[in-house]
Amino acid sequence: MESMKQELESSTTLSEDPAGQIAHSRSERRAKPRTWEIPPAPAPAPHLDDYKSIVGEPVVEELRFLARGLAKKTLKMVNSTAVGGGVAEMLNRLVPLLAELDVTTHWDVITGGNDFFEVTKAFHNALHGAPYELTREAQEIFLTYNEQNRQRMQFNEDIVVIHDPQPAAMIGARKDTSAQWVWRCHIDLSNPHPQVWGFLRPFIEQYNAAIFSSQTFARQLPIPQYLFYPCIDPLSEKNKKLDDSFVQKVCDEFGIDRSRPIVTQVSRFDRLKDPVGVVQAFKLARKYADCQLVLAGGGASDDPEGAIVLKEVKEAVGNDPDVIILDLPPWCALEINALQSASTIVVQKSLREGFGLTVTEALWKGKPTIGGAVGGIPNQIIHKLTGMLVHSIEGCAYQIRYLLTHPEFATQLGRNGREHVKENFLMTTNVRRWLLLLQILLRGGKA
Amino acid sequence: MMAASATPTTLQRTPAKPFYFNTSAHLLRITKYKANSLSELLDALRECPEDSVFQHTFRTLQEHHFIREGFSNDFAHWALAQCNEPGLAEALASVDVREFTSVSTLRERIIQILENYLKSVPNMGTHPADETFYFCASDIVVLPTSFEGRTMGEFTEGLRRVSVHSIHHHFIEARLRLKLMSNDFSQWLHEDVGLTEAARKLNRIDIYTSTLEDVRQQIIRIVERALT
Repeated sequence: MESMKQELESSTTLSEDPAGQIAHSRSERRAKPRTWEIPPAPAPAPHLDDYKSIVGEPVVEELRFLARGLAKKTLKMVNSTAVGGGVAEMLNRLVPLLAELDVTTHWDVITGGNDFFEVTKAFHNALHGAPYELTREAQEIFLTYNEQNRQRMQFNEDIVVIHDPQPAAMIGARKDTSAQWVWRCHIDLSNPHPQVWGFLRPFIEQYNAAIFSSQTFARQLPIPQYLFYPCIDPLSEKNKKLDDSFVQKVCDEFGIDRSRPIVTQVSRFDRLKDPVGVVQAFKLARKYADCQLVLAGGGASDDPEGAIVLKEVKEAVGNDPDVIILDLPPWCALEINALQSASTIVVQKSLREGFGLTVTEALWKGKPTIGGAVGGIPNQIIHKLTGMLVHSIEGCAYQIRYLLTHPEFATQLGRNGREHVKENFLMTTNVRRWLLLLQILLRGGKA
Repeated sequence: MMAASATPTTLQRTPAKPFYFNTSAHLLRITKYKANSLSELLDALRECPEDSVFQHTFRTLQEHHFIREGFSNDFAHWALAQCNEPGLAEALASVDVREFTSVSTLRERIIQILENYLKSVPNMGTHPADETFYFCASDIVVLPTSFEGRTMGEFTEGLRRVSVHSIHHHFIEARLRLKLMSNDFSQWLHEDVGLTEAARKLNRIDIYTSTLEDVRQQIIRIVERALT
């Protein structure tokens, strides 16, 4: 921890006041918060045994028993990027852990020109429901690059997993092999663009199975569909247990008073995360309960819309000294961890959401969490048992007040929330799901 | 059900056969069945695979093993949270999976509760729920563990150290395998150790007001008291 602090001190540079408001004495201290300008070197990937202290030895032992039946079996993962994004982040942790369990896993990344990735980006947005005109040219670009990648790659493994729509047409490589092919869909297909889904669907139906991140994201398909919740790594910088002195240091640098309740939302400055709604809920709640609001996010510097949303948030805040707005670069995992750890309540008042891993992170830290009842958040927050679900600004304000004035109930929610994550949304659970799926598929689909 | 015991008379009992701790791992499958109202829930319950009924009753207890109160099965939770039907939720929550040795009879019981409720308030059947109920199902793989009870000391040590998944496998899921109103621990304590009263006491542990961790501790206490 000491070395981490030294690294932080030596690697940080001064940046501008993110909130852009220095109108009162307490905010003077947060006038120049320090954030990293360049990404730090990634921490080494943990080993399986490192998880024993978190999930218990029997759980790790179960993984080893499950893997025994898979000795000498091979697996290939194919996706569209090696770095950046949740899929690459997950594979960077999953592949070494599977290798440690003697499940040989090859990870290949498809290549393509700008034209290919423009088409697949448009497909991605259209599958989330955005308007799009699917042209013959776009279809040809998609199929041509899939064919090029198919010819470039070898497929000698027992199981091939294709991630997301970009490489979906590579299923053609399965013919003349006995391999089982699985399509792992990380995106929400609940309301896809009919033309784009109609184009992709014939490829998907050729797979042996599909995997979705939530039951609400799936489509009716003639193949078995499995549910793999996204997961967090409890040993990552974002989620590991921090020394309290580091948490205090981060709060001091950002001008956050730990002697008063802290309500936090961590998310990009994006209208779908409703940061302005969070400010309004906070202002309603504060009439009855003393607290501060921390809005920690990013996206304002490299996304024109993010900058507009940040401006709207600042306007909603006005000169309120109890609202701390932090526009952090994406590699500030330790600082985000510290902010979540320091929080009394965490809010994720999204209007639309994927799975909502910031909720998972907050629950894992044992924080009473308030979430919008959208996307994958209800999978994580069981209302009144592992957190509180809300549907409006007023509802959010009420739950903030309630949790601040009922600390024992809030503590119990936080305790349940952490156990819920431990049981269902940790990397070790993800490894178990993969091992189970491999066993089931290699037995011909019979458990 | 518990026939004559094979029974040691001393307190230092040696089991006739070792107890082998196993565990089960589950993979969730998304089925084609879903419901947007209580009538649709009833229709889907009549048609869905037994694996789905198992998932939303037996298995969901394991997934939420850390909750001490307020969670019994997914149907009850949905009736309350998404349909705002507390009376129906209470009736569904009162279904104790330990009273069933087959999923088919458990399914019949849940269907009966829903049918009775919808007869009493027929206009609620088509009232749209806030959120859809998606029927999932469990694919199960049974695994060994490294723990076995050749002595009572090893058995209690195994109880302490196995995962809660193993406790669920032996204590709750077992009745579907045994087709008995009992569990693996009680069967073994009765048949192979002769601790018949302890075996009976285990069956009186309330799994709906305890976490699985609490259940584990209660099992250990009952066994240790029987040995002293």
